[in-house]
Amino acid sequence: MNTTTDTSIPTLSPWGTFTLVFGICFAILYVVCDMAALPLFTYHPGTDRIDLGYAPARRDEGPAMYWYGWLASSSLGAAILSVLAALLPDKIRSKIPLALAWVVPVVLLPVLIYSLMFYWRW
Amino acid sequence: MDFLFDYISVNTFWTILFTIHALLAVALLGALTHQAAAVLAPPRVGEAEGFVRRFRSVSAPSYAAVVCLLWVLAFIFGGWIYAKYRIYVRIPIEQEGFYKTLGAFELKEHLSSIGLGLLPFYWYLWKNAANITYASTRKWVTIVLAAICWYTFLAGHIVNNVRGFGL
Repeated sequence: MNTTTDTSIPTLSPWGTFTLVFGICFAILYVVCDMAALPLFTYHPGTDRIDLGYAPARRDEGPAMYWYGWLASSSLGAAILSVLAALLPDKIRSKIPLALAWVVPVVLLPVLIYSLMFYWRW
Repeated sequence: MDFLFDYISVNTFWTILFTIHALLAVALLGALTHQAAAVLAPPRVGEAEGFVRRFRSVSAPSYAAVVCLLWVLAFIFGGWIYAKYRIYVRIPIEQEGFYKTLGAFELKEHLSSIGLGLLPFYWYLWKNAANITYASTRKWVTIVLAAICWYTFLAGHIVNNVRGFGL
């Protein structure tokens, strides 16, 4: 365990900033990729075929899966933004609120539930 | 992987993978629940010994690495069996018209992914457990991950009850 002592203002190392921004951006980008149909690739499990980007299910080849592609898109986007954030000067990095790490997923929850409206049939 | 099918059936193979996924999820749920209880309601000085005190008296920082490892492993196994689920489990559930069950599972898939993205920061916060300026964020990130874990566990359990991988 790191034994960093108390400081009055929460500050993050560049690695800490990377992890914080990655968590925030990954969640946001994941929801965007889901709702805007932006997978990096599409997987067709029936035939093990992989198409770049979004591809609809092919006739007689079973369903298409986008989840793996959303993970890849959002990981890539979040990694790029996190590296950029980690390179920012200390003064700017220290202004990123740590609470966003848990507030963003909580705020995105109703958005995700809404995005699944199709399934909530009574 | 094909050589395995000389010894076990395809269904048995996928059921074994699913069982490993479920066992990893049980371990993760236990670890995260202990840790969340420790940060949400730490034991009070002079509190009488008992189950509740012992439950929340765990050394929360020591759970962080295990939680990350279990989450990643459960996610990998879940992602592996997900392709089979899409064809052999989801389609029959769609045909039966159990849309809310499918919706609950879709939400599980989304939340577990968002939880995965949070893990590096969660690990960073617990690696710096001595820094009290992170205490509030550390507590809430842990609670959010525990809540996600509980939801994903229950949603997965329900889907398995509706139609799991059969032997």
